[in-house]
Amino acid sequence: MTQIRKSVVAVLAGMVATLGAAQEQVGSAGQWQRMLELGEAHEMASGLYQALKEEAEVPAAPAAFNQLPDWSGLWTHTGSAALGLFWSSPDGTRPNLTSIGTAMQEEGVRLNAAGINYDENLSQCGPPGFPRWLIIPFLREFIVRPEQTWLTSETVNNVRRVYTDGRDHPPEVERYPLYYGDSIGFWDGQQLVIHTNQLMARQMGRNTLYQSEQMETVEIWENIDGDTIRAQAWLYDPTILEQPWYVEREYARVSNEDTSLRMRYWHCGENENNTVFQTEEGSTQYTEFIFTGDEDR
Amino acid sequence: MIARNWLLSLGLLTYVVVLPPVTAHHAGVMFEEEAEITLEGVVKEFQYTNPHSWLLVDVTGEDGRITTWGFEAEGPSTLMRRGIRVGDLIPGTRVTISGHPMRDGRPAAAWTRAVRDDGVVFLPRGD
Repeated sequence: MTQIRKSVVAVLAGMVATLGAAQEQVGSAGQWQRMLELGEAHEMASGLYQALKEEAEVPAAPAAFNQLPDWSGLWTHTGSAALGLFWSSPDGTRPNLTSIGTAMQEEGVRLNAAGINYDENLSQCGPPGFPRWLIIPFLREFIVRPEQTWLTSETVNNVRRVYTDGRDHPPEVERYPLYYGDSIGFWDGQQLVIHTNQLMARQMGRNTLYQSEQMETVEIWENIDGDTIRAQAWLYDPTILEQPWYVEREYARVSNEDTSLRMRYWHCGENENNTVFQTEEGSTQYTEFIFTGDEDR
Repeated sequence: MIARNWLLSLGLLTYVVVLPPVTAHHAGVMFEEEAEITLEGVVKEFQYTNPHSWLLVDVTGEDGRITTWGFEAEGPSTLMRRGIRVGDLIPGTRVTISGHPMRDGRPAAAWTRAVRDDGVVFLPRGD
């Protein structure tokens, strides 16, 4: 039995009367609900992380290199980014938003209906930030070492560093907001368990919610069939969420038999034709293209 | 004419002071998703760049004048995964090209399909 399943069983032990049927349910929706409930059983992300760590009986020293999974190759997110982090549960469950979160959601709906769309992060080629990072498209590479794992993405050349050498987060007095936060983790067999804090207040996608600096997350990463890496993530942000939210995302191995496909550097100023500005109504528009202006030849 | 120039100046001032341009990986709201245009022309340049690529195509109008159209697509890694390499559409290549046009009427479009003169089809946004 994997550690995460043990945790689920522990959570469900007190809910047998009402969730007995759910325990028997087979399929992604039932599993997804159980993971949601696992998050709800802990008031804070740090509590869930600590519970997973205690069950995993993590050794004092980092795992040896040859004990770690091989996540080499190129990968890409397989789901739709359009649905964002909150509107893609398998059974239609929606997050229980605070009044602040609800107002943000309603404003996003209004902007979408009006055809107004401006990406406060990517339109300025800033970092997408975490946890939005989970759903951004394009190529990714995952570099696994005993003391650190790097979760990288082609988009804006970003790198998430997950420290697995046993260190803790910086003391509270030394913390400050970061685009990708501060991530520590441990290996539970072939599963990488991650706790992230120190996240920056930031829009989580186009016309969607803004996370606060209270956002903290727990993730479990695992290669589930050789060609698919799954990330299970619990999002805790009491500013926008009444209860923690659960997200499950998958990254598929990208075919690259001739090895010609490679991660390349992004510099958004490389091509002036990609220059945009925010219109007065709040939407996106190109500036002058550099290929026009010589008509009438 | 003076009033028009004054308004243009004011517009430019507003643009410069209030709405500074930024370089971007942008949303697609500038394009009219519901519409599609198809043009025939000659590749002028393939700007194979992140985060968006541009295929520039010279199109000759009925009056004989040439307009350069820009067809926007994702960056190189996405194009490569869809079988579109920078050497596939070199300058001088004749193409029949389709896309969702700009809402404001400028000669640009979100590139959806191109057929090279030898019949090879390119689908930068997939099937």
